[in-house]
Amino acid sequence: MTGRSYTRRGFLALSSVAVTGLGISACTGASISGGGATAPASNKLRLFTYEDDTTIGSLKAQVKKFDEQNGTTTTIDSLPGSGAAQYPDKLRTELLGGSGPDVWRIWGGQIGAPFAKAKQAADLAPYYQKYGWDSSINTAAVQGMTFDGVKAGVPFTARALGAWYNKELLAKAGVTDVPTTYAELEEMNDKLVAAGITPCGLGGKYGWHIMRLFEYLLEHTAGPELHDRLLLGQDSWDRPEVVEAFTLFKKWQDKKWLPEGALGLDPADVGTWYVQGKVAYDIEGQWTETAAILAADKDPKDFGVFQLPTDQSPARHSGFVEGYMINANSGNKDKAAALLDFLLTPESQKAMQIGSSTVKGAEPDPATTPLAAEWAEKYGDSPFYTIQDQAFPKKEADQYFSIQSDLLQGSMTPAAAAEKMQEIVAAWAGN
Amino acid sequence: MFALPALTVYVVFLVYPAVSSLWFSFTDWDGLSPAYNVVGLDNYARMLEDPVVLTAGKNNLIWSLVTIVFPVTLGLALALLLNGKVRAKPVLRLVFYAPGVLPLVSIASIWGWLYNPQYGAINSFLSLIGLGDLAQPWLGQDSTALWAVMVPAVWLRTGFPMLLYIAALQSIPAELYEAARVDGASRWRQFWHVTMPSLRSAHYIVLALSLIDSFKVFDMIYAMTYGGPGTATQVMGTWMYANVFQYYQAGYGTAIAVVITLIAIAVGIPYVRSQTRERAT
Repeated sequence: MTGRSYTRRGFLALSSVAVTGLGISACTGASISGGGATAPASNKLRLFTYEDDTTIGSLKAQVKKFDEQNGTTTTIDSLPGSGAAQYPDKLRTELLGGSGPDVWRIWGGQIGAPFAKAKQAADLAPYYQKYGWDSSINTAAVQGMTFDGVKAGVPFTARALGAWYNKELLAKAGVTDVPTTYAELEEMNDKLVAAGITPCGLGGKYGWHIMRLFEYLLEHTAGPELHDRLLLGQDSWDRPEVVEAFTLFKKWQDKKWLPEGALGLDPADVGTWYVQGKVAYDIEGQWTETAAILAADKDPKDFGVFQLPTDQSPARHSGFVEGYMINANSGNKDKAAALLDFLLTPESQKAMQIGSSTVKGAEPDPATTPLAAEWAEKYGDSPFYTIQDQAFPKKEADQYFSIQSDLLQGSMTPAAAAEKMQEIVAAWAGN
Repeated sequence: MFALPALTVYVVFLVYPAVSSLWFSFTDWDGLSPAYNVVGLDNYARMLEDPVVLTAGKNNLIWSLVTIVFPVTLGLALALLLNGKVRAKPVLRLVFYAPGVLPLVSIASIWGWLYNPQYGAINSFLSLIGLGDLAQPWLGQDSTALWAVMVPAVWLRTGFPMLLYIAALQSIPAELYEAARVDGASRWRQFWHVTMPSLRSAHYIVLALSLIDSFKVFDMIYAMTYGGPGTATQVMGTWMYANVFQYYQAGYGTAIAVVITLIAIAVGIPYVRSQTRERAT
């Protein structure tokens, strides 16, 4: 009896430990080896990125060229599609697992910052000096990859967001000229709705896509100076300009200027709707010409792009920086830097059809990407405000997206939204 | 000595990570930096004040209730149906079980398209049959999002209990039914007094596994709604993931993971006890 009882308890205890182990080890996979020792040097490099099918081919071609010239073997892994919502998680997991890539692509601002802060990304100052990146790369973009004074990344694109539109649908609604004031933009939206066309294609899943509308509205109502101060937590969000921006945001949904049920739509789907003729325009960056228009075998002549009118001076658009970081624990930092320098030559940038290169001499080619070239010519020198999901850390950005969601569903008033935003930003900026 | 290799694997890959995870739940580790501070029970106390934990816990309960009651009931009904003289029985079993073997991400994508408010098949169908007023942005509003994700969850989870019940039904001796018929028992009374008691151990397994599976839900929610709109469909698993992997609050996220695990153990104990009783006899 005693023996049987002992066995049963033992089995119960072991099973419980097993369940505990499976549960929490699967949940965290935690290891304190995140800091990890430097890996031995070799000729093998691994690059982690989020290129999709439309762009990864040209990146692979350039990397292959580099490998042939330098006797290296570079593996490229990509996690496309989810934007900044998931890619950093995967990267972080790899780094913690001790199998992190030698080089990774990343967004600037608060998305790249944690990797620099945790010293997972190497300080690239010696390579900036060695390869003269300070003089060959746009200075403002370098700032976007500099964290607490440490150049932990090298920028290769400075993206700008504008309204990319379907000419046929605008014509169908009787719109002959793109709007130059906010009032004209609203007027255009009304004409489109009257013609049975959904004006602006944005999706709320993950929060960051539909955020592009709110940040534009905030630039319109608050103006450049106040907008910048708000993003830095230097001014209260609980103010009329912010309330007005939230009011307009709700108005866009109520007047059906956004797709039905926008909050549940996936940006990966909605982002191409203007090309498919399902919506009139979308707020996108220059990448959309390659990723949506050319990938669908459409003629760029059937589409256009304009800067969203803010009625403010200077006229600004949303923008963000993307670049590469090098693993601080990589044994191949020199080779990784050489690879980045190769990718940052104007020739490589042009070959990869980077429509928003930070490299001098790599402006978009009007023959291959005419709309990106048009944007660069018209608005290339325009100042930009930091896109909001790079301005805030992920946690605060998610809280902000939650407010967007509550506001659009009518469970929160614009005034309450502004007040709640102030609480979130104050808690973050006060730290 | 013979157990040493297995024990080593067990300790290295299970016990050590589990214990270290438990340790991290008492720290403020950000998940990336090598340095951290011990904060005692702060992470656990913080959970009590976190409104999302409340939402997530409530959603877990609703999810568990719905994704247990419906798949188990439907699974049992299908098993009873397919245990009888039904033509094309193997094909039907395959059809009902097939969703369970499909990759969850594919299921989430497919249902995401079906639910698309403008172009999805569900709203289109409702409009087609004159019920256009019922069309909703299913995944885009708090009131329907969680329920909308539960529909494919029920669909894909019905096959598993069905298979277990079919196996259990086939092990019930035919003599019991013959005796019941001789005693004049109706089909309903045969079901209640012969079938259901004979399925007791199957009920244990199905309910325990379903409960554990329901409470650790993560993938369907993550893929279909990402916890949104806002935090409307957050469950403990997705909230743990957000904290550990996205917010750089590994200490707090691990504390959530520990709580999830403790709950899973609590609900798993009756199953383990039933199994140990069977082994002991």
